[in-house]
Amino acid sequence: MTKQTLLLEIGTEELPPKALLNLATAFADGMRDGLDKAELGFTEINHYASPRRLTVMITELVTAQADKEILKRGPAIKAAYDDEGKPTSAALGFAKSCGADIADLEILETDKGSWLSYLAQETGEKTVKLIPEIAETALSRLPIPKKMRWGTGSIEFVRPVHWVVAMFGKETIDCSILGIKAGKQTFGHRFHHPGPIKLKSAESYLQQLEETGKVIADFDRRKTLIKNAVEKVAAEANGKAILDKDLLDEVTALVEWPVVFSGVFDKKYLALPNEVLIATMQGQQKYFPVVDKENNLLPCFIAVTNIESKSPDIIRLGNQRVITPRLSDAEFFWQRDNKIPLADLRKKLGDVVFQQKLGSLHDKSERIISLASYMANLLGADTTLAERAAALSKCDLLTDMVREFPELQGVIGRYYATNNGEDKEVATALDEQYMPRFAGDQIPQSKTGQIISIADKLDTLVGIFAIGKAPTGDKDPFALRRAALGVLRIMIEGKLELDLEACLKKAVGNYNDALFKDQLARSDLVVQIFDFMMERLRRYYIDQNISPDNFEAVLMRRPSQPYDFHRRLNAVVQFRKLPESESLAAANKRIGNILKQVENHDNIKFSHDLLKEDAEQKLANALDSIREKVTPLLDNGEYEHALSELAGLKDEVDTFFDDVMVMCDDEALKNNRLALLLQLSNLFLKTADISRLQN
Amino acid sequence: MTKTSKNNLLTFQDIISQLQHFWADQGCIIEQPYSIEMGAGTFHPSTFLRAIGPEPWRTAFVQPSRRPTDGRYGENPNRLQHYYQFQVLLKPSPDEIQALYLESLEYLGIDPLVHDIRFVEDNWESPTLGAWGLGWEVWLDGMEISQFTYFQQVGGLDCSPVSGELSYGLERMAMYLQNKDSVFDLLWGKTPEGEISYGDIYHQNEVEMSTYNFELADTDSLFQWFDTCESECMKLIEKDLPLPAYEMVLKASHSFNLLDARHAISVTERQRFILRVRTLSKAVAQAYYESRETLGFPLVRA
Repeated sequence: MTKQTLLLEIGTEELPPKALLNLATAFADGMRDGLDKAELGFTEINHYASPRRLTVMITELVTAQADKEILKRGPAIKAAYDDEGKPTSAALGFAKSCGADIADLEILETDKGSWLSYLAQETGEKTVKLIPEIAETALSRLPIPKKMRWGTGSIEFVRPVHWVVAMFGKETIDCSILGIKAGKQTFGHRFHHPGPIKLKSAESYLQQLEETGKVIADFDRRKTLIKNAVEKVAAEANGKAILDKDLLDEVTALVEWPVVFSGVFDKKYLALPNEVLIATMQGQQKYFPVVDKENNLLPCFIAVTNIESKSPDIIRLGNQRVITPRLSDAEFFWQRDNKIPLADLRKKLGDVVFQQKLGSLHDKSERIISLASYMANLLGADTTLAERAAALSKCDLLTDMVREFPELQGVIGRYYATNNGEDKEVATALDEQYMPRFAGDQIPQSKTGQIISIADKLDTLVGIFAIGKAPTGDKDPFALRRAALGVLRIMIEGKLELDLEACLKKAVGNYNDALFKDQLARSDLVVQIFDFMMERLRRYYIDQNISPDNFEAVLMRRPSQPYDFHRRLNAVVQFRKLPESESLAAANKRIGNILKQVENHDNIKFSHDLLKEDAEQKLANALDSIREKVTPLLDNGEYEHALSELAGLKDEVDTFFDDVMVMCDDEALKNNRLALLLQLSNLFLKTADISRLQN
Repeated sequence: MTKTSKNNLLTFQDIISQLQHFWADQGCIIEQPYSIEMGAGTFHPSTFLRAIGPEPWRTAFVQPSRRPTDGRYGENPNRLQHYYQFQVLLKPSPDEIQALYLESLEYLGIDPLVHDIRFVEDNWESPTLGAWGLGWEVWLDGMEISQFTYFQQVGGLDCSPVSGELSYGLERMAMYLQNKDSVFDLLWGKTPEGEISYGDIYHQNEVEMSTYNFELADTDSLFQWFDTCESECMKLIEKDLPLPAYEMVLKASHSFNLLDARHAISVTERQRFILRVRTLSKAVAQAYYESRETLGFPLVRA
């Protein structure tokens, strides 16, 4: 079967850089799906992407679908011929539907009888006939953040489409895609080669574009070129570039012919916080900042342009002229903000609404103070520091710097608090209150930071749940899932012995009565949020590949301290590695089932005097001696050690079930045995309900 | 087209007349600034209202724009509370709209093989106008010199046909063309007595207006004025007078901007005010559409 290379290029106006790579990948995935469904074989799908093009190149694609033989079944033989052996109308109709002569039909013998049949030959469709629809389908499924229309047309796409290349080998595929007649003509760089380039073949696409068009269409290659050039230019400036991964992708998506250079700014601006300088360079100008060997910022930046300029210095000077007023603005904010101590901004928080029904930011910070103080007490931490950090926590939101760089909330608070002479722990906590800022980000390291971060998040959770705006489906406008996970991570990874339920009760208590119908509504809310958080905890452990039944076993006990939950879960994970665990899990399941049949089993008394069989005596004795060992362990939260001791009961438990009839006729004996099993089960339950473990 | 002015230094007023000349040649009606304070050329009725409905439109004009919060008492080299936009609206947006825009830059003497010109995604949304569109900021050597938008919705109404809007930041472009580091050093024009700079004309204005905007604007009166404009607007819409009603939207919007500069509006209150202006904008847009429909969309010519 012959094979050819397929090239599809959608030529557009400048595409959104952050979406570019996703769009190209999705285009390739969509083509793959379409080709697979059409049973068209190929070797490789490559995607290319630049600001003005989305391209898919498919190598060694078959030129047609394979021919197929299809066995069509007609009427039963009995119904196909009449008594005289002549074909009936049913048989003739079948032949006609197959486009065949009655003589061409065959007889299909099966164990359920014989039928008239026809072996039809279906010729495979030519690939070029199938490609247009496959391409349109793939394009219609692109994850376009926002589609647009243009001119008088009704076609919707990411940006207006100007040309389409559709080639199979050396030939044009005769079709229209996205309303444009496809051809073999692409276009080069907007300024270096604005005219058309006639492609010799699908395979020569990259080469012709690069050599004639001054376009490096291969995203990954362009990215590598940029990265290397940035590193080289940084080295020439005696520094090292800060190569933010997302920024590198974004910059790669903004150029077709990258040219890298460095520029400088006045070193007086280095007095500004590093984060402000970096946000200005990276966020606003898409420059790479440069640091020296000690990681101090240098008064210099690296820019990536899209032109091999006739006068590169003009571009350098131009860019330098842009960054200066931006830094000058930041300096203006820095100086103005520093004239007012953070603490003085606190009263103005009353003017800023946190949420319409939940009061102002001042109200919120009052609640954070109360909750932080409560937690600091429980943890034996410094309540004065916690209260101070809580009081200042939202003040930086009123500074000009945070208005200009909202992403620097907290960071700016830390700088200003330090300048105001606040305690170092307080200043650090102002920054750490927003941690973890994103999935995988670190948790606060200072105790006060941990406390403020938890207090802020729990307060938001409670408030937003109370006004009925809990997350539903994929709607989570207040990012409550992230907040919940943040709290759990800080409690677990910070090893905080904090009772979540108690903290939630306190947080609910901080809100005024107007939000709640009655006392019951308050306690219902605690349960609702606790359950919501347990679901987040489930995800947390699934992401760590902990098997769900382990989680379930602990959840059945509802430990209200997440760190305690975590230790129990670890113990269960270790317990399952023991050879005894399977049989003990089964035994506990059995005990559960037996106890279910008995009413009021908690009230049954156990007595050594009623032990009759050898096996039950042995179990009772073993239980007594292990209980003595295990009780102090459990009191200390040493669950793993406790479970490994309990694993030692396996033989006694197995023998007990082999030899002893629990539900015997003698009521006293039966009750005593039930009581013995109950004791056994309770010892395990102090850690987890291991009857939940699946084999 | 002849490129008349490539070798001479363009004054600020030259830039304006060159752009007017260029776009007049492209079949644009050259209009004049609107006489009410507004934040951007988009608010000019010849953009906001003309983008509504099926009637084609091509226009270009200068619009003085006011953004009270951007004032810096004349101390920042390129932040101003009063500045100029050169606004172009092409409805429907022609296929070659990007090329036309780039040609206009060349017409001003900006050589695309010397400078780094880029279209960087910037999706425009005006919450107060109930309008959004997709497009770019245009960067010239790292500086944003224009906004380029394909309107998708205006006043809550879908745009069909789609208008292409170009807004040139005149001061920023002039700083490039004249190679000046401060907007106040720009050469505006020449008189027999000598050169007149942008600062000669506007520096005192920036200092005084910043003081007024940030420190003195009377917030109680502004809140009241906002309420008055809002109720007047609704009244005028009921009387089928979308044009004066739209003037009330502009006045309300500017009062809101002044209140914002005075930090008189909290974050959530801000949302509520924006929503109030948007409600007015949408009502005006609908009323304007209906009034044009009643007239039989006179600019749709066979």
